[in-house]
Amino acid sequence: MYVGVDVGGTYTDAALLDGGRVLATAKVPTRKEELIGSILEAMDNVLENVDKSKLKKIIFSTTMITNLIAERKFDDVDLLLIPGPGLSHAYYKLKPNIHILSGAIDFRGRETVRLNEQEILSTISEIAGKGIRNVGVIGKFSPRNTSHEKYVASIISGKYPEWQIEVGSRIASQLNFPRRVETTYLTCATRAPYRYFINSVRQALEYRKISAEVFILKADGGTLPLEGSEELPVETIFSGPAASTLGVLALAPPGETAVVVDIGGTTTDLALILSGEPLLSSKGAKVMEQFTQVRALAVKSIAVGGDSALKKVGSKISISPNRLGPAFCMGGPAPTPTDALRTLGLSTIGEREKAVEAMAILGESLGMSAVEAARIVTGQVVDMLTAEIDNMFLEWEQEPAYRVWEVLQKHKVRPDIIAGVGGGSEGFVEQIATKMGCAPFIPAHAAVANAIGAAVAMPTMQVSLRADTEQGYYIIKEEAYQEKIRGRSFNEQKALDLAKKSLIEWAARYGLEVKPEEIEVTHQEVFNMIRGWNTSGRLIDVTVQTPRGIAYKVGNGGY
Amino acid sequence: MRKTSGKQTGLIFFPAFDWAISPTHPEREERLLYTRDQIFEEGIIDFPQIAEYTPSLATEHDISRTHFCVPGVREQTTEAHLIASGAAILLAEEVLSGKIKNAFALVRPPGHHSMRVVHGNRGFCNINNEAIMVDYLRRRGAKRVAIVDTDAHHGDGTQDIFWHDPDVLFISFHQDGRTLYPGTGFTYELGGPRAFARTINIPLPPGTTDDSLLYVVDNLILPVLGDFNPDFVVNSAGQDNHYTDPLGSLKISAQGYARLTEKIHPDIAVLEGGYAIETALPYVNMAIVMALAGLDYSGVQEPDYWPGRFKESSGKTKEIRRIVEELLKHWEKRDRVAPGSGNIVGKFYQREKRIYYDTDHIEENQLEKLKLCDHCPGYLTIDSAANRGYNHNKVLCISVPITACSKCCSEAAELYHKSKKTTSYNYVYLQDKAADIFYSFESGSKKERSLER
Repeated sequence: MYVGVDVGGTYTDAALLDGGRVLATAKVPTRKEELIGSILEAMDNVLENVDKSKLKKIIFSTTMITNLIAERKFDDVDLLLIPGPGLSHAYYKLKPNIHILSGAIDFRGRETVRLNEQEILSTISEIAGKGIRNVGVIGKFSPRNTSHEKYVASIISGKYPEWQIEVGSRIASQLNFPRRVETTYLTCATRAPYRYFINSVRQALEYRKISAEVFILKADGGTLPLEGSEELPVETIFSGPAASTLGVLALAPPGETAVVVDIGGTTTDLALILSGEPLLSSKGAKVMEQFTQVRALAVKSIAVGGDSALKKVGSKISISPNRLGPAFCMGGPAPTPTDALRTLGLSTIGEREKAVEAMAILGESLGMSAVEAARIVTGQVVDMLTAEIDNMFLEWEQEPAYRVWEVLQKHKVRPDIIAGVGGGSEGFVEQIATKMGCAPFIPAHAAVANAIGAAVAMPTMQVSLRADTEQGYYIIKEEAYQEKIRGRSFNEQKALDLAKKSLIEWAARYGLEVKPEEIEVTHQEVFNMIRGWNTSGRLIDVTVQTPRGIAYKVGNGGY
Repeated sequence: MRKTSGKQTGLIFFPAFDWAISPTHPEREERLLYTRDQIFEEGIIDFPQIAEYTPSLATEHDISRTHFCVPGVREQTTEAHLIASGAAILLAEEVLSGKIKNAFALVRPPGHHSMRVVHGNRGFCNINNEAIMVDYLRRRGAKRVAIVDTDAHHGDGTQDIFWHDPDVLFISFHQDGRTLYPGTGFTYELGGPRAFARTINIPLPPGTTDDSLLYVVDNLILPVLGDFNPDFVVNSAGQDNHYTDPLGSLKISAQGYARLTEKIHPDIAVLEGGYAIETALPYVNMAIVMALAGLDYSGVQEPDYWPGRFKESSGKTKEIRRIVEELLKHWEKRDRVAPGSGNIVGKFYQREKRIYYDTDHIEENQLEKLKLCDHCPGYLTIDSAANRGYNHNKVLCISVPITACSKCCSEAAELYHKSKKTTSYNYVYLQDKAADIFYSFESGSKKERSLER
């Protein structure tokens, strides 16, 4: 048996699954100040009268890190950057607690400017003087040569062994220095509170004598064992939309191209599933208006939801991005889209009379009936959402392409189904589907699809290897591990074998067993380097990962 | 003037990582690899000042508006060519319609050695990306376009295409043709009889540094651009002026490139040559993107560069100043020079040309005739014979300018129909830019094709 728990902004949901069957579900209000309490309450609900020894896995999706960051409740961090030549350093100094060190590595991983030991020492003293004990060291092109970052880190840990130190190449190994800086910063900042959170979870489970494996959902729809996630807290940001997307994947027919519409109180999250594969964002998660290197599903949040307040502006009805309270039909203060749906008989939430009253008040000032006003409101919401869905497809079609075949294979894709999850989607999804010429899909257990998504999530890990045979070294990026290449026989196959071996070992350290035949190659790039008329070496880049997807499909519900 | 404040710089980065002329050719997969690394690692694509676009393909119709491809567009292009020229068109359209303030088509393969008639590949080029884009822009309503070619090699293809066009100003600086391919681009090459001084060539001696180059920009290129007052400025951005370029011998730095770009202030830059793929391209491309986007580029520097590293001899500095003086005098005389009578036959101005295709080893002989019309720039005919090994192709190309008068249009059409009946040509082409319809006729099969919107 598996339990999935999704902590959302308003509700915390839980689902107990056995194979493809949903045995129990629960929905409790989220208490922001006491997340663990909410998690345990939802869990206790579904585990009532269940033999806990039969519980195999518990998977959490939590807003813990998202909240921490949004509320800036994290530790002070100082960053030591080694940007070298390029973009003016003034752009980096815009941020607080930034120290610039001399030194530079180029795109091939060659040192072009040396570090200055004196400068490093005086910078560390300055940080120590401020009382900061938490630092990140990030170099431009550090994924191509980790030595500068590591050297600076070793000086710090030599002088102050108790400091928390993180190096950029281990946290964010793709090319993009500003995103690496941001990701490293967030990792340093959230590590301590996150560690406190997982310790509390662990204690609470021990207290309940639950010994199941515990996993945490990541933004890319994969999971990490709770213990291992300590290293990479930022990966757990935005796991909510990932949970609902996996939920749809588990509940919808296989292989479909679907739009996941999750209508909440004040926001609607949109995500895409292309031929059964959740679409990943090409740029990485955006946190506080800054891109990071956190792999995340391509999710768009729109500021409209079931509880958005409606008001008359001029001769039009305006949907405000704010929530004044619950819907009028649920005892709230203002008319909302939920009232419009109730009035039209498209939902069963709340009292019908109150809903009609809300729409009548809204319509009166515009000289229209309650039903007319309700139609206009739902029409506006549907128009807004379909426009955004069209945009998402367009953006996907217009992703940059760097190879001839990539440009040629670009094609238009349109969804087969519009899948509604969350509380308030039902009434809208049908209209969106009609407008887009595809089928509506409301899965069984739509209200807790996110908890089901968490329950079926699988562990994912990836390893990227880069080899430069001319310079005679390779790097396993995720581990910031650099090794010499001996002999002349290194080739693409050897690179792949090394990457796979490293993935298996790495996974084993997290308690995961990975079979070599399951490993997927997601990126493979080889360039011959020609100097003069001869091949002087090869640049090989490979990325391998554990299979993505869900553990199993759930029932066959929906319409 | 288009409003530019607050708008983004459009970027298409198309390195064609799966396309090469041949595995060891300078135009190979690896060429923009390190440029990618530099641009991605700097993270400037995330900056709000920059909008990245994905390229689309130019059509046969777009290409036939500029070129006579023999026998046809399909035989002379690969998909990579269509993507490179399509990228330039897409960005130019975005700038023209005011969506972005300027743009950089950081694409390959290059194009500025491709002439109007295309029998094969010359100087790594099959079709001329900038020329195709300029003809597209003129169709879209741009009246006057200036092209500033900053590649170290003379942009002889672009010069050939706009030689007779009074509404397209072509300025090229390059390393002196006596010391570098293609061996042309001297100060006396000034354009056809109806477009005098609309072609300006600035041959620079080997060893020219940033200071002298910027002197040329300030004292010649900018004043001429100011007088011409174009609707659109194009930069054919070659990166082989760099001090590390393996083919060229100029001494320009990444900082020099950034200042050059800032001063020329192009609406669009399109990448041309440059083969110092590790030592120059990553830095020069970064510098150009930053200069276009208005980002502070002062920190961009090659690992082995320091300010003042290169000094040119005073003799070279003087020589460059003399060339600027000479060309300014020619520019003063624009619109006031009559064609030499030796080249006039009846109502036509004519010249003979020999063209060598270095990559494909083709020899071409052309007889070019321009109708000297009093009402328009006049239609052009090119009688072209090309030899490649034992292959021999003889074609007649007729080009009607976009601003042609009705008399020139009908005369050209008549000539086309008459020539189809003779057996002297393998192919006869009519490029009617005024109607935007392009015909080709194959004598052997008597088959005619027409391309229209």
